[in-house]
Amino acid sequence: MIVCAAVVGPSYNPLHLQTFALDDDPLKYHYIVHCALDVIDERLSPPSPRSRGAGGNDPCLGYLYSTEDFKVYGYVSNTHVKFLLVLDDPETKDVRELFHRFHSAYIDAVSNPFQLPGHSITSRSFEARLRALASS
Amino acid sequence: MAPRREVAESCLEFLYIELVQSYERKDAECAEKGDGRASRAALESIGFQVGQQLAERYTIDRARFADHLEVIKFICKEFWSEIFRKQVDHLKTNRHRALFVLQDDRFRWLRHLSLPAEQTSNTEAVAKYLVFPCGLIKGALSSFGVNCEVTAEISEDARKPTQCSFEVRIK
Repeated sequence: MIVCAAVVGPSYNPLHLQTFALDDDPLKYHYIVHCALDVIDERLSPPSPRSRGAGGNDPCLGYLYSTEDFKVYGYVSNTHVKFLLVLDDPETKDVRELFHRFHSAYIDAVSNPFQLPGHSITSRSFEARLRALASS
Repeated sequence: MAPRREVAESCLEFLYIELVQSYERKDAECAEKGDGRASRAALESIGFQVGQQLAERYTIDRARFADHLEVIKFICKEFWSEIFRKQVDHLKTNRHRALFVLQDDRFRWLRHLSLPAEQTSNTEAVAKYLVFPCGLIKGALSSFGVNCEVTAEISEDARKPTQCSFEVRIK
Protein backbone atom coordinates (compact mmCIF):
# COMPACT_ATOMS: atom_id res chain seq x y z
CA MET A 1 0.00 0.00 0.00
CA ILE A 2 1.08 3.56 -0.65
CA VAL A 3 1.68 5.33 2.64
CA CYS A 4 2.95 8.61 1.27
CA ALA A 5 3.02 10.49 -2.04
CA ALA A 6 5.15 13.56 -2.65
CA VAL A 7 5.82 16.02 -5.47
CA VAL A 8 9.03 18.02 -5.54
CA GLY A 9 9.60 20.87 -7.99
CA PRO A 10 12.46 21.41 -10.46
CA SER A 11 14.55 23.37 -7.98
CA TYR A 12 13.84 20.92 -5.16
CA ASN A 13 11.02 23.00 -3.79
CA PRO A 14 8.39 20.84 -2.07
CA LEU A 15 5.08 21.10 -3.92
CA HIS A 16 2.94 18.53 -2.20
CA LEU A 17 3.20 15.81 0.42
CA GLN A 18 0.33 13.64 1.43
CA THR A 19 0.25 10.72 3.83
CA PHE A 20 -2.33 7.97 3.86
CA ALA A 21 -1.65 6.21 7.15
CA LEU A 22 -3.87 7.64 9.84
CA ASP A 23 -1.69 7.85 12.89
CA ASP A 24 1.59 8.80 11.31
CA ASP A 25 3.60 11.93 11.69
CA PRO A 26 4.07 13.64 8.30
CA LEU A 27 7.48 14.85 9.45
CA LYS A 28 8.79 11.31 9.25
CA TYR A 29 7.84 11.16 5.58
CA HIS A 30 9.35 14.55 4.88
CA TYR A 31 12.57 13.05 6.12
CA ILE A 32 12.25 9.91 3.98
CA VAL A 33 11.42 11.94 0.88
CA HIS A 34 14.30 14.27 1.57
CA CYS A 35 16.71 11.35 1.64
CA ALA A 36 15.22 9.96 -1.57
CA LEU A 37 16.03 13.22 -3.35
CA ASP A 38 19.72 12.53 -2.85
CA VAL A 39 19.28 9.18 -4.58
CA ILE A 40 17.40 10.83 -7.45
CA ASP A 41 20.18 13.40 -7.74
CA GLU A 42 22.72 10.66 -7.99
CA ARG A 43 20.76 8.82 -10.66
CA LEU A 44 20.27 11.92 -12.76
CA SER A 45 23.71 13.44 -12.51
CA PRO A 46 25.61 11.49 -15.21
CA PRO A 47 24.22 12.24 -18.68
CA SER A 48 23.73 8.55 -19.42
CA PRO A 49 23.33 6.64 -16.17
CA ARG A 50 25.67 3.71 -16.04
CA SER A 51 24.64 0.10 -16.19
CA ARG A 52 20.95 0.79 -16.52
CA GLY A 53 20.72 -0.34 -20.11
CA ALA A 54 18.42 1.34 -22.58
CA GLY A 55 16.26 2.93 -19.91
CA GLY A 56 18.73 5.77 -19.39
CA ASN A 57 16.19 8.48 -20.05
CA ASP A 58 13.20 6.65 -18.69
CA PRO A 59 11.14 9.03 -16.54
CA CYS A 60 10.39 6.19 -14.15
CA LEU A 61 13.41 5.72 -11.93
CA GLY A 62 11.82 2.85 -10.07
CA TYR A 63 13.14 1.68 -6.75
CA LEU A 64 15.31 4.25 -5.01
CA TYR A 65 16.06 3.01 -1.51
CA SER A 66 14.43 1.45 1.50
CA THR A 67 14.14 2.21 5.16
CA GLU A 68 13.31 -0.37 7.80
CA ASP A 69 9.60 -0.33 7.02
CA PHE A 70 9.26 1.27 3.61
CA LYS A 71 10.44 1.23 0.05
CA VAL A 72 10.74 4.48 -1.87
CA TYR A 73 10.12 4.77 -5.61
CA GLY A 74 10.81 7.74 -7.85
CA TYR A 75 9.78 9.26 -11.16
CA VAL A 76 11.10 12.38 -12.89
CA SER A 77 9.11 14.18 -15.55
CA ASN A 78 10.53 16.02 -18.54
CA THR A 79 9.96 19.24 -16.70
CA HIS A 80 12.23 18.09 -13.85
CA VAL A 81 9.37 17.60 -11.42
CA LYS A 82 10.07 14.70 -9.09
CA PHE A 83 7.37 12.31 -7.96
CA LEU A 84 7.94 10.01 -5.01
CA LEU A 85 5.90 7.18 -3.60
CA VAL A 86 6.59 5.51 -0.27
CA LEU A 87 5.23 1.96 -0.14
CA ASP A 88 5.07 -0.46 2.73
CA ASP A 89 4.60 -3.61 0.66
CA PRO A 90 7.27 -6.20 0.51
CA GLU A 91 6.25 -7.13 -3.03
CA THR A 92 6.44 -4.57 -5.80
CA LYS A 93 3.36 -3.54 -7.66
CA ASP A 94 3.40 -1.98 -11.09
CA VAL A 95 4.86 1.34 -9.98
CA ARG A 96 5.05 2.60 -13.56
CA GLU A 97 1.29 2.53 -13.82
CA LEU A 98 0.95 4.21 -10.42
CA PHE A 99 3.33 6.98 -11.40
CA HIS A 100 1.54 7.52 -14.67
CA ARG A 101 -1.71 8.14 -12.81
CA PHE A 102 0.10 10.26 -10.24
CA HIS A 103 1.62 12.38 -13.02
CA SER A 104 -1.75 12.77 -14.79
CA ALA A 105 -3.31 13.99 -11.56
CA TYR A 106 -0.48 16.47 -11.15
CA ILE A 107 -0.89 17.75 -14.72
CA ASP A 108 -4.56 18.38 -14.16
CA ALA A 109 -3.80 20.15 -10.89
CA VAL A 110 -1.23 22.51 -12.39
CA SER A 111 -3.41 23.23 -15.40
CA ASN A 112 -5.73 25.07 -13.07
CA PRO A 113 -5.20 28.75 -13.85
CA PHE A 114 -5.49 29.60 -10.17
CA GLN A 115 -2.62 27.31 -9.33
CA LEU A 116 0.45 29.53 -9.19
CA PRO A 117 3.44 27.86 -10.83
CA GLY A 118 6.05 26.80 -8.30
CA HIS A 119 3.69 27.09 -5.33
CA SER A 120 2.56 24.17 -3.24
CA ILE A 121 -0.55 22.39 -4.45
CA THR A 122 -3.51 22.57 -2.12
CA SER A 123 -6.20 21.37 -4.51
CA ARG A 124 -8.87 19.18 -2.95
CA SER A 125 -9.49 17.25 -6.16
CA PHE A 126 -5.77 16.52 -6.47
CA GLU A 127 -5.78 15.18 -2.91
CA ALA A 128 -8.85 13.09 -3.65
CA ARG A 129 -7.22 11.59 -6.73
CA LEU A 130 -4.14 10.68 -4.76
CA ARG A 131 -6.31 9.08 -2.08
CA ALA A 132 -7.99 7.04 -4.81
CA LEU A 133 -4.57 6.07 -6.11
CA ALA A 134 -3.47 5.00 -2.64
CA SER A 135 -6.53 2.87 -2.01
CA SER A 136 -6.49 1.19 -5.43
CA MET B 1 -7.66 7.11 -19.54
CA ALA B 2 -10.29 9.80 -19.94
CA PRO B 3 -11.26 10.67 -23.54
CA ARG B 4 -9.63 13.79 -24.92
CA ARG B 5 -11.82 16.81 -24.66
CA GLU B 6 -12.00 19.01 -27.69
CA VAL B 7 -13.06 22.53 -28.55
CA ALA B 8 -14.14 24.07 -31.85
CA GLU B 9 -11.21 25.79 -33.47
CA SER B 10 -13.26 28.84 -34.38
CA CYS B 11 -13.98 29.39 -30.68
CA LEU B 12 -10.31 29.29 -29.90
CA GLU B 13 -9.53 31.75 -32.69
CA PHE B 14 -12.22 34.19 -31.64
CA LEU B 15 -11.07 33.96 -28.05
CA TYR B 16 -7.50 34.53 -29.09
CA ILE B 17 -8.27 37.55 -31.28
CA GLU B 18 -10.42 39.04 -28.56
CA LEU B 19 -7.70 38.43 -25.98
CA VAL B 20 -5.20 40.41 -28.03
CA GLN B 21 -7.68 43.19 -28.74
CA SER B 22 -8.87 43.53 -25.19
CA TYR B 23 -5.30 44.00 -24.03
CA GLU B 24 -4.76 46.51 -26.79
CA ARG B 25 -7.76 48.51 -25.61
CA LYS B 26 -6.41 48.41 -22.09
CA ASP B 27 -3.16 49.79 -23.45
CA ALA B 28 -4.93 52.65 -25.15
CA GLU B 29 -6.55 53.54 -21.82
CA CYS B 30 -3.25 53.38 -20.01
CA ALA B 31 -1.41 55.30 -22.71
CA GLU B 32 -2.35 58.59 -21.10
CA LYS B 33 -0.60 57.56 -17.92
CA GLY B 34 2.49 56.76 -19.96
CA ASP B 35 2.23 53.00 -19.56
CA GLY B 36 1.20 51.96 -23.03
CA ARG B 37 3.27 48.81 -23.45
CA ALA B 38 1.96 46.79 -20.53
CA SER B 39 -0.16 44.55 -22.72
CA ARG B 40 2.86 42.97 -24.38
CA ALA B 41 4.20 41.77 -21.07
CA ALA B 42 0.77 40.60 -19.95
CA LEU B 43 0.13 38.63 -23.13
CA GLU B 44 3.56 37.11 -23.02
CA SER B 45 3.18 36.01 -19.44
CA ILE B 46 -0.20 34.41 -20.14
CA GLY B 47 1.45 32.56 -23.01
CA PHE B 48 4.30 31.61 -20.75
CA GLN B 49 2.02 29.98 -18.21
CA VAL B 50 -0.02 28.15 -20.86
CA GLY B 51 3.22 26.94 -22.43
CA GLN B 52 4.39 25.54 -19.15
CA GLN B 53 1.12 23.71 -18.58
CA LEU B 54 1.03 22.25 -22.09
CA ALA B 55 4.67 21.22 -21.89
CA GLU B 56 3.87 19.14 -18.84
CA ARG B 57 0.83 17.61 -20.48
CA TYR B 58 2.33 16.74 -23.86
CA THR B 59 5.41 15.02 -22.51
CA ILE B 60 3.79 12.56 -20.15
CA ASP B 61 4.56 9.54 -22.32
CA ARG B 62 7.99 10.64 -23.44
CA ALA B 63 11.44 9.67 -22.33
CA ARG B 64 13.37 12.51 -20.75
CA PHE B 65 15.20 14.85 -23.11
CA ALA B 66 18.92 14.40 -23.45
CA ASP B 67 19.89 17.84 -24.75
CA HIS B 68 18.68 21.20 -26.04
CA LEU B 69 18.45 20.08 -29.65
CA GLU B 70 16.09 17.29 -28.70
CA VAL B 71 13.91 19.78 -26.86
CA ILE B 72 13.81 22.12 -29.87
CA LYS B 73 12.93 19.21 -32.14
CA PHE B 74 10.11 18.27 -29.82
CA ILE B 75 8.81 21.86 -30.01
CA CYS B 76 8.98 21.81 -33.82
CA LYS B 77 7.23 18.49 -34.19
CA GLU B 78 4.97 17.24 -31.42
CA PHE B 79 4.31 20.51 -29.62
CA TRP B 80 3.59 22.42 -32.82
CA SER B 81 1.31 19.72 -34.21
CA GLU B 82 -0.68 19.55 -30.99
CA ILE B 83 -1.35 23.28 -31.03
CA PHE B 84 -1.26 24.24 -34.71
CA ARG B 85 -2.06 20.87 -36.35
CA LYS B 86 1.10 21.02 -38.43
CA GLN B 87 4.81 20.89 -37.90
CA VAL B 88 7.24 23.77 -38.19
CA ASP B 89 8.26 24.08 -41.85
CA HIS B 90 11.90 25.01 -41.48
CA LEU B 91 14.28 24.87 -38.58
CA LYS B 92 17.53 26.77 -38.87
CA THR B 93 20.16 26.28 -36.26
CA ASN B 94 23.31 28.06 -35.36
CA ARG B 95 24.73 26.03 -32.55
CA HIS B 96 27.70 28.29 -31.94
CA ARG B 97 25.46 31.16 -31.08
CA ALA B 98 22.83 28.90 -29.50
CA LEU B 99 20.29 30.25 -31.93
CA PHE B 100 17.32 28.44 -33.45
CA VAL B 101 14.92 29.85 -36.00
CA LEU B 102 11.56 28.15 -36.35
CA GLN B 103 9.82 29.13 -39.54
CA ASP B 104 6.15 28.44 -40.19
CA ASP B 105 4.90 29.19 -43.70
CA ARG B 106 1.24 29.10 -42.82
CA PHE B 107 0.91 30.07 -39.21
CA ARG B 108 -2.49 28.90 -38.14
CA TRP B 109 -3.39 31.79 -35.89
CA LEU B 110 -2.84 34.33 -38.68
CA ARG B 111 -4.84 32.57 -41.36
CA HIS B 112 -8.08 34.38 -40.76
CA LEU B 113 -6.75 37.85 -40.19
CA SER B 114 -7.14 40.31 -43.04
CA LEU B 115 -5.75 43.79 -43.14
CA PRO B 116 -7.76 46.95 -43.62
CA ALA B 117 -7.55 48.08 -47.24
CA GLU B 118 -5.51 51.19 -46.60
CA GLN B 119 -2.76 49.26 -44.85
CA THR B 120 0.00 47.92 -47.03
CA SER B 121 2.51 46.59 -44.57
CA ASN B 122 1.31 43.78 -42.39
CA THR B 123 4.26 43.71 -40.01
CA GLU B 124 3.04 46.35 -37.60
CA ALA B 125 -0.54 45.12 -37.41
CA VAL B 126 0.27 41.45 -37.11
CA ALA B 127 3.15 41.74 -34.64
CA LYS B 128 0.83 41.94 -31.65
CA TYR B 129 -0.70 38.59 -32.56
CA LEU B 130 2.66 36.91 -32.20
CA VAL B 131 3.42 38.01 -28.66
CA PHE B 132 1.35 35.24 -27.12
CA PRO B 133 2.94 32.43 -29.20
CA CYS B 134 6.37 33.77 -28.23
CA GLY B 135 5.41 33.40 -24.58
CA LEU B 136 4.03 29.96 -25.32
CA ILE B 137 7.33 28.74 -26.75
CA LYS B 138 9.32 30.41 -24.02
CA GLY B 139 7.14 28.86 -21.32
CA ALA B 140 7.43 25.37 -22.75
CA LEU B 141 11.19 25.66 -23.16
CA SER B 142 11.71 27.07 -19.70
CA SER B 143 9.83 24.21 -18.10
CA PHE B 144 12.18 21.81 -19.89
CA GLY B 145 15.02 23.74 -18.28
CA VAL B 146 16.03 25.78 -21.33
CA ASN B 147 16.30 29.47 -20.53
CA CYS B 148 15.83 31.54 -23.63
CA GLU B 149 14.57 34.65 -25.33
CA VAL B 150 11.98 34.27 -28.07
CA THR B 151 11.19 36.92 -30.66
CA ALA B 152 8.91 36.72 -33.67
CA GLU B 153 9.28 38.08 -37.16
CA ILE B 154 6.73 38.34 -39.92
CA SER B 155 7.61 37.83 -43.54
CA GLU B 156 7.83 41.04 -45.57
CA ASP B 157 6.61 39.17 -48.58
CA ALA B 158 3.05 40.31 -49.32
CA ARG B 159 2.23 37.03 -51.05
CA LYS B 160 2.89 35.11 -47.88
CA PRO B 161 1.00 37.01 -45.22
CA THR B 162 0.90 34.10 -42.81
CA GLN B 163 4.57 33.29 -42.91
CA CYS B 164 6.42 34.04 -39.75
CA SER B 165 9.45 32.88 -37.86
CA PHE B 166 10.32 32.57 -34.21
CA GLU B 167 13.84 33.15 -33.11
CA VAL B 168 14.90 31.23 -30.03
CA ARG B 169 18.07 32.46 -28.40
CA ILE B 170 19.28 30.22 -25.62
CA LYS B 171 20.95 32.00 -22.75
